[in-house]
Amino acid sequence: MIITAQKPLDEILDFLSPYSNILIAGCDGCTQPPRGLREAKTLSQLIELGGRLRGKNFNLEVITMPKQCDSYLALTTLKPQTEDVEAILSLGCGLGVQTIAQVLPDLLVFPAQNTLFIGMEAREEGTFEERCAACGDCILALTGGICPVTRCAKGLLNGPCGGSSNGKCEVDPEKDCAWDLIIKRLEKLGRLSVLEEIRPPRNFWQVARPGRVKQL
Amino acid sequence: MEPSSNQQTVAVKINEDYCSRCSICSSLCPYDAIKKDPETGKMLLEIAKCQVCAICYSACPAKAIDIIYYDIKSLTKYLERAKQEYQSDSLVIMCKGCAPDFGGIEKLFGISKFVPLSVPCVGRIPVDVLLKAIATMGIKGIYILACEEDYCRFERGSSITGRRIMALNILLEQFGYGKEIIKLQRCSLKVKAARDKCISCGNCAFYCPYDAAKLESGAAEFDLNLCRGCGLCVALCPAMALELENWEGERISASISRLSLEMTKPKILVFRCQWSVFPSLDEKLNSDVRVIDLPCAARVDPLHILEAFQNGIDGILIAACPEEDCKSKTGSKESQRLITALRKTLSQIGLEERLHFCSVAPRYPETFYAELQQFKERIETSYSKKARQ
Repeated sequence: MIITAQKPLDEILDFLSPYSNILIAGCDGCTQPPRGLREAKTLSQLIELGGRLRGKNFNLEVITMPKQCDSYLALTTLKPQTEDVEAILSLGCGLGVQTIAQVLPDLLVFPAQNTLFIGMEAREEGTFEERCAACGDCILALTGGICPVTRCAKGLLNGPCGGSSNGKCEVDPEKDCAWDLIIKRLEKLGRLSVLEEIRPPRNFWQVARPGRVKQL
Repeated sequence: MEPSSNQQTVAVKINEDYCSRCSICSSLCPYDAIKKDPETGKMLLEIAKCQVCAICYSACPAKAIDIIYYDIKSLTKYLERAKQEYQSDSLVIMCKGCAPDFGGIEKLFGISKFVPLSVPCVGRIPVDVLLKAIATMGIKGIYILACEEDYCRFERGSSITGRRIMALNILLEQFGYGKEIIKLQRCSLKVKAARDKCISCGNCAFYCPYDAAKLESGAAEFDLNLCRGCGLCVALCPAMALELENWEGERISASISRLSLEMTKPKILVFRCQWSVFPSLDEKLNSDVRVIDLPCAARVDPLHILEAFQNGIDGILIAACPEEDCKSKTGSKESQRLITALRKTLSQIGLEERLHFCSVAPRYPETFYAELQQFKERIETSYSKKARQ
């Protein structure tokens, strides 16, 4: 899932203030926490309340869609709603905002979220944890399903480094040392020997930006 | 911190002078709050455990239990007054857990004119009151609406009422009052899910305290036999695909706009868990305070709070049970979490002081009104400050 955090209301009010007719677009897709209809309505009410305190009245409409990062869905859902709309406020991640900007080139689109990372939702702890860097050369098969690219502060592929102490990381002692986790897990699974095999260097070509994949 | 019982007025007391130490109260108490002292033989009430279901009160053969809410005297007084007001010889006694109002009674019992009495659990009504209504007040039929036995918020209140009524009907028939003069129906409110709106986020499945929600074949499915109608999933559904029967979002919205219009400034709106405060039968509120009773603090929807602010409400107070008293397991706790998060967001536009969450329990009858007074003073101060500017 794409983890996002809502922008400060002041920042949102600042960029919306020159405009009055705003369409707030939620996204039911993979953004976490879900930024669907409820979040869109909540934000609409907060903007109205915040606007009133600044002496500004907005005319706000609310809509949501299955996923904003689909050019076809974004266009067909939003286009019919854009008459008289001066700006769209997107609750999607950075992808949603950019997709809307691309399919509706004549309209202003603003982000309501800061996009943080690809993460998992640890429900019991009530946290979102970064787990994948979209590096394009997945090595999870060799590391017991634990990703050192994201979870090791130094992104080491041949760790642990000398800063690993009691299973914690020297960069942030609150966090687990990814390599300590990897080795313990491989040991438990009886697969520690995979780390002794010599492997060619990592294929960094895969992460050339911007990425593009042609669908078959 | 919970106030200690020796400084506070408590809602339930055992009157030693009358107590015959028969132990009926301790055998019926669903919360183990009454025990017999093995040395002295006295019945002891541990008020911290008491949930004020008043099953002990309605069962005590010696009338040795004193209770602040809905005692025989206040019930009788209310019924006498209400009988005049509603001009009917039918009496409807409903548990608040069944419905927020008496709208569904006509359909359920086939009567349109009746004397209404709504109480938190029908298990608290002593048989004396029913007999008095029939024998001296000219009531010809009593209709009781209770929660389904397994869903009783006080565990045994509904089933005990069922047994009492069965016995009472036999007695009344022998006395020539006719067959089944007291009618009992049961109902419990449940979640309503709009499958087509579900986005499969899994919130309901994770948060449901009763494991009633499962994510299956792309949408949430609810086992209504497990659903207890707390409303937590409704407040947490990001797609707004869920509703709680009789507590629909639109219904609460309509109450908010209606109440905000009839209030005087500064307007204080209270969202109150109906198990956290037991209002007296003639609860009178000042014109600047209005209350929306909810089936659990879990049904407090942040969207309704924002809507109330938009409607010109100046202060919003949330009254919930303490976590350990919550009648829906995690309802109070999750509600507090949601309100804390909303307060944090509201702080960005300077409104956080206008929203307050408090934990209150009916065992200490004064705490809610003390919290309300304190909050009112805070809002009034900021209101007069604003007016001066």
